[in-house]
Amino acid sequence: MSGAATQLGTQTPPQPGLKLRALLLEDNALDAALVVRALFKDGFDVKAHVVQDEAAFTNALRDDSPEVVLADYNLPTWKGMEALKVIRQEGLDIPMILVSGALGDVTAVECIKQGATDYVLKDGLARLPEVIRRALREKEERSLRRKVQEDLARKADELARSNADLEQFAYVASHDLQEPLRMVTAYTQLLAERYRGKLDENADKFIGYASEGALRMQVLIQDLLAFSRVGRNGSTSNSVDCNAVMAEVLQTLSPAIRESGAVVTCGTLPTVWADRTQVAQVFQNLIGNAIKFRGKEPPAVSVQAEKSGEQWQCSVSDNGIGIDSEYVEKIFVVFQRLHARDEYPGNGIGLAICKKIVERNGGKIWVESQPGCGSTFKFTLPSHDPEGEEVAR
Amino acid sequence: MTKSLPRVLIVDDNPADVCLVREALAVTERESEVSSVGDGVEAMSFLTRKEKFADAFCPDLVILDLNLPRKDGQAVLASMKAAPALRKIPVVIFSTSQLPKDIVRSYELGANCYVRKPGNLNEFFYAVRSIEDFWFGFVNLPPRGE
Repeated sequence: MSGAATQLGTQTPPQPGLKLRALLLEDNALDAALVVRALFKDGFDVKAHVVQDEAAFTNALRDDSPEVVLADYNLPTWKGMEALKVIRQEGLDIPMILVSGALGDVTAVECIKQGATDYVLKDGLARLPEVIRRALREKEERSLRRKVQEDLARKADELARSNADLEQFAYVASHDLQEPLRMVTAYTQLLAERYRGKLDENADKFIGYASEGALRMQVLIQDLLAFSRVGRNGSTSNSVDCNAVMAEVLQTLSPAIRESGAVVTCGTLPTVWADRTQVAQVFQNLIGNAIKFRGKEPPAVSVQAEKSGEQWQCSVSDNGIGIDSEYVEKIFVVFQRLHARDEYPGNGIGLAICKKIVERNGGKIWVESQPGCGSTFKFTLPSHDPEGEEVAR
Repeated sequence: MTKSLPRVLIVDDNPADVCLVREALAVTERESEVSSVGDGVEAMSFLTRKEKFADAFCPDLVILDLNLPRKDGQAVLASMKAAPALRKIPVVIFSTSQLPKDIVRSYELGANCYVRKPGNLNEFFYAVRSIEDFWFGFVNLPPRGE
């Protein structure tokens, strides 16, 4: 039988055709020949391998790597649809088209549901070439889509890895930098203490600069460590009552509030789905900033919240010095400062930590402000557990 | 006379840290006898008076760093607390590590206290002075087992 097909396969097609390796599951040699002829007539340079049973089919599948499988629905010893299972078992994506003498519509639809690409009746073989072309096209599109998806997944993987590497680097670098720096700090301080006034004026000044620099660097490294620690120690999301969090934050900030004469008003705050310690950190940094960057008036800070879709939007407004619109993005970047150190102390880490925390908890943070008219920092946090919500749906 | 001086063994591989602890001890009113070794193996030789440490003193207090070459601080601590002759000597872990696992493990192994090495000179001196005041001025130490 395969002899007949091969014989037909050696005929020269009318025009240089599309090369096609087809695996035919067919017990009738004449039918096989008709199928091959239909393809030739349409310009396929077809190389057909005809088999009749499971063993031969499986072998041909492995050896020939066919591009299309044409299966008779009814075979003496096997069923055409069984071929589909073999194809899947082999982990292959090869379109399988049923070629059958008679196939009722219901059966045909059922076969296609189970994964057959299409079906062609033996007395309508003229349709077969177009069916095959479409099947090959679809397969091409499938593999292209798969490739794009794989590329995307790989890039996402690489990105995640490189982010993790970067965080690890920041952590290790800042951690390991602390040790030698500790020596510089301690010994410049010891020098300053033991030899102040015993060398000359310049020496005192130089030692002073070195010592200040080392101290500043220590604080910077500690800030960098704090920044890279966000999320490192495995944050855990829970239901967090922001009212309770706020009470603690105000307690912590009470010296600054008292000293500045600040008035902090607070609306009813929501329960959000986030890491409790981190939420407290965000409120503390924002309110702390509102107090720090005050104008001539005593600070008036207002903390409010409103529902915004699936999330809660919290806001911290102040009557402070405000921010030029030019800088509204920059202020969230690590170590970015807008003011001289002696005007407003700090290293520019607070808002960077807020941004990292909010984004890690699935929210956004931004600021609305005008110079001289105060600032409103807004951030969103999920109102509930993303998975719990899906269950509820 | 010298016999009554408090005896401290510093185990630290960083000479600059050893020097700082010595400086800190030197500026207090209380005189003390201080020796130091640079790794865990030497620490054990010192404590058991082996080889070049045959004439070493038996310390009243060990100030032990965690990150040490050859035998790390926790291994030294474990060996000390397993040796009947050494387990009564109070051990102060003096380390920059603030990792909870380091702190917990040290106490589990029998550390008598865990003190963070501060980065700032004044805090460093204050820490050493506090250790000295507490162990040599406040608590009762066991009699020396010469």
